[in-house]
Amino acid sequence: MRLFQKHDFPGRLFVVEGVDGSGKSTQLDLLRNWLESKGKSVVFTEWNSSKLISKTIKQAKRSNTLIPVTFSILHATDFADRLENIIIPALKAGLIVLADRYCFTAFARDFARGVDKEWLRNLYGFAIRPDGTFYFQVPVEVSLERINNSRMPGFYEAGMDIGLSKDPRESFQMFQSVIINEYDKMVTEFEFHTMPATRPIHEQQMIFREKVGKLLGM
Amino acid sequence: MAKDLKVQDSQNNKKPAHPYPGKFIVVEGTDGVGRSTQAELLKNWLAIEGYGVVVTEWKSSELISTVIDKAKSKNALNTITFSLLYATDLADRLNSLILPALKAGLIVIADRYFYTALARDVVRGADPSWVRKLYGFAVDPDLIFYLKMPLEPLLRRIITTRGGLDFYESGRDIGMSTDLYQSFKLYQSQILFEYEHMMDEYNFKVVSADDPIDVVQKMLRGSVRQLLAEEAAVQKTI
Repeated sequence: MRLFQKHDFPGRLFVVEGVDGSGKSTQLDLLRNWLESKGKSVVFTEWNSSKLISKTIKQAKRSNTLIPVTFSILHATDFADRLENIIIPALKAGLIVLADRYCFTAFARDFARGVDKEWLRNLYGFAIRPDGTFYFQVPVEVSLERINNSRMPGFYEAGMDIGLSKDPRESFQMFQSVIINEYDKMVTEFEFHTMPATRPIHEQQMIFREKVGKLLGM
Repeated sequence: MAKDLKVQDSQNNKKPAHPYPGKFIVVEGTDGVGRSTQAELLKNWLAIEGYGVVVTEWKSSELISTVIDKAKSKNALNTITFSLLYATDLADRLNSLILPALKAGLIVIADRYFYTALARDVVRGADPSWVRKLYGFAVDPDLIFYLKMPLEPLLRRIITTRGGLDFYESGRDIGMSTDLYQSFKLYQSQILFEYEHMMDEYNFKVVSADDPIDVVQKMLRGSVRQLLAEEAAVQKTI
């Protein structure tokens, strides 16, 4: 399966991962500006954004009627559509692809919803293995603190669909802890670059640029 | 008796039979073999016999079937996306229709099941083991009828009854041939080949769809009657 071997396209694929509020999107945006200022051609794609299916997913979420497996395949469909229409063509054309979340998001979230780990890895077996996956690591306590200070989480965001707790905040805390745990386990499995997401933005960005620069031979 | 049945099950199937009180019957076969007609007749007969029956068709979920139709009308699907869309459709129907019905003790007749996806996706170049694992969430049927028809009569039947050939039914999306008829023939023969492979793997009950409608129906009813009689015998011993 492609996910488990190096790709041989001329382009390069970099991915950011991490829980909501870890600052990964900000960092990816800054990286993109930098790459473009260096004259690189960059293509950006984010989770759940395909023309084909993202609207359906959003509608389904609103109706709160999906079971984890259906939810899981829906996201995989969105991903497959973007992979074939955006990511692979760009890699073939020798471009740099930046992805805000990748299949690892599904590995963490869907597993937290009780979906079988092996089944998930098979499901996304068609994915292209990234040249660099940057995991913006936030310790569970920090993430929970941020959650407590933030708005009320959404139904699926809080994992309410799997009935951890009737209280959205409590459910979110339990759900989030499992997700972070899963991410941490994937660090070695998928050779993540761990990023210190609790450090100042500028400091993180410098580390990010240095790592990506090295991978691109810049 | 109940014990014997269980042992038999585990020898014939890789996964244990579903734990629900209902019965799950699948009618499989490629385009044009008369699946829907047979499923409908079976349903009417069972209703008359006093059984609660629901029929579920391939690609009919509220969630996703219109998305599939739209995407197909644009001929914009690649193999994996195609495959995943259909898997989503089935996952949704399993959750919202098939499992609730089986739990309620009804007989569910599925007009096509994931074997259709296995055949189509593999012909479209998907990895056979990937698709099989993908459908790992699907509950095993109690009975799978495979309506089998040789290629030549099948081709004649589709062309005469459908008033033309369909883009995807002809596998035109995978560019087998620009000649629509040739493409159709090639595609359907490969689909049949995949079904042949699955006959033993999934324990299909093969029925010759070349026979008249009533003869085919009689065969189906015979097997269903047997399934229900076995179930009744089990119930008696409990």
